[in-house]
Amino acid sequence: MSDRRLPRLLQTPAVVLLLIWMIVPLSMTLFFSFIRYVLNSLRRPEWTEPSLSNWRGFGNYNYVLNNNDFLLAVQNSLLIVCSIVLLTVILGVLIAVLINKAFPGRSIVRVLLISPFFVMPAVNAVLWINMILDPVLGLQGLAVEGLNGTLQNLRAAPGIGWFFSLWPELQPISFRATQTSAYAVIIMVTWQWTPFAVLIFMTSLQSEDQQQKEAAVLDGAGVWSQFRFLTLPHLSRPIAIVVMIQAIFHLSLYAEIEIVSRGNGNKNLPYLIGEFANNNIGAASATGIFAVILANIIAIFLLRMIGKTLME
Amino acid sequence: MARIVLEKVTKTFGTAEVIPPLDLTIEDGEFTVFVGPSGCGKSTLLRLIAGLEETTSGRVLIDGGDVTEVSPSKRGLAMVFQTYALYPHMTVRKNIAFPMRMAGLSQAEQDQRVEVAAESLNLTDYLDRKPAQLSGGQRQRVAIGRAIVRDPSAFLFDEPLSNLDAALRVGMRVEITEMHARMKTTMIYVTHDQVEAMTMADRIVVLRAGVIEQVGTPLELYRTPRNTFVAGFIGSPKMNLLEGSEARKHGAHTLGIRPEHIDVVDSGGLWSGTVGVAEHLGSDTFFHVHDTGLTEKLMVRAVGDVALRHGDKIHLNPRTHELHRFDAAGLRMP
Repeated sequence: MSDRRLPRLLQTPAVVLLLIWMIVPLSMTLFFSFIRYVLNSLRRPEWTEPSLSNWRGFGNYNYVLNNNDFLLAVQNSLLIVCSIVLLTVILGVLIAVLINKAFPGRSIVRVLLISPFFVMPAVNAVLWINMILDPVLGLQGLAVEGLNGTLQNLRAAPGIGWFFSLWPELQPISFRATQTSAYAVIIMVTWQWTPFAVLIFMTSLQSEDQQQKEAAVLDGAGVWSQFRFLTLPHLSRPIAIVVMIQAIFHLSLYAEIEIVSRGNGNKNLPYLIGEFANNNIGAASATGIFAVILANIIAIFLLRMIGKTLME
Repeated sequence: MARIVLEKVTKTFGTAEVIPPLDLTIEDGEFTVFVGPSGCGKSTLLRLIAGLEETTSGRVLIDGGDVTEVSPSKRGLAMVFQTYALYPHMTVRKNIAFPMRMAGLSQAEQDQRVEVAAESLNLTDYLDRKPAQLSGGQRQRVAIGRAIVRDPSAFLFDEPLSNLDAALRVGMRVEITEMHARMKTTMIYVTHDQVEAMTMADRIVVLRAGVIEQVGTPLELYRTPRNTFVAGFIGSPKMNLLEGSEARKHGAHTLGIRPEHIDVVDSGGLWSGTVGVAEHLGSDTFFHVHDTGLTEKLMVRAVGDVALRHGDKIHLNPRTHELHRFDAAGLRMP
């Protein structure tokens, strides 16, 4: 055992530093979540100092749980994370398999495919919500307008006009509205993160054993069977990694939600924390603890899943 | 059961001609070995037969039917790969059953055939393991099992033993040979190892640069090699090829004599030299003989242990009726 002492000693500073890095903010959050602590209060100026004398027990937690936005924020967090992960994995696998075949201009296509990943999240959100999804000025508005114009012309056409008058006129969708803003976030983040999935799946596909495929061809497996029985199992590990990394990242989405709707009907947990933190640090900390618990629940599921694929 | 005929088959990759026009007939039930140095096109030839490579021109016939344009799975052939090509996430049972599953056989039929194949290959205890948990030899047997259950008209082996260690290789060699004796199915076996070719084949096809140098039974190739390439390739240790005055004495450009056809005598031999490395195997002794005036290094094989060491003087007597004579083009002279 003594020969392990030196390496352990040398590791200690890093471990201690990381521990402090984690313990200090976590314990401060825990502490704040149990006291009354606000940034501004004319009526109760003593609450603006974090001190034990302002002890509130589980009051902050009660306050957060009874807040109308809390349940919505949890649901929204899960909806956004799960949808993005599902869509990026499906799109990522399909695109990766598609561009794994040799075709002229493949390297340029690959570079273009990766580029969305280098756009800043806030820029991504501004571009999508103003230039593409905007119901009047965006591509969506222009497309709807164009289609409706065509429809008008067809209705006026002799003979077949009656058929097209049965068709409804299209209505542009406002993605800033309460009900749809989450979908806008899902669309834009999926666009941005699909390249990440493609990149990981593509490298994995290149390590796929070609002789296995040839053996499968001789065994009578068609293109679909090869994909189903060879490629998909081969990709199970990278899929697990993509799911885990994205789940961690998208639980903390903020910029897109701020830009799309300012959280109007579309809050997730980080956004709710941000709102509380405008003044009520105690409630924000309590929400933060809920977020930590949620993240841990998801992490346990993910680690189980990934552990299983890595064990094989 | 299949008779495989190649008619004027060629293959080019880009501008490189790997196989110039080639004709070959593999008889029904025959164990044919393609042998040659690496890069001689033997694997390409096998892949052409399997359909994994398209022929540039020419025809491939199986039992008289033209299969040149037929997809690999419809040719009724099974192939065993050098890297085994097992499906890593499936158990042995699922691996073996895979071709039957693709063919849509009933579960009962699949189970029954897997059992039979596993029985004959000693894999019954390993059916529920994954390939990663098996040794190299077991993996190779699974690959063979996957080929057997398809009941193919011919087996194609692409250097199946190259990734095994020496002891296992000898064992698997015997197993495959016995399998052929039992099943009497046409088998084509690709190897760069002339020992495998000699021990397993009914007929050997020696290839060099995509060209067939000689086709014949192992002993035909051993006794009457058609040219110096086959002479040097078949037999271990290699045949001694002598040029110069000794060859001219026999009216040839190159004179060939196998190491086992040179006798070690106490004195008065036709040739003499100094022993270099002496490999004492007990049953045989291989001498690397230098300073003979014939060639730089003459290989001699003596039966039993001959007590000559490094630096000793050695007297040799070639068996004159075992000499092979080749002309300037390297072809055998009568």
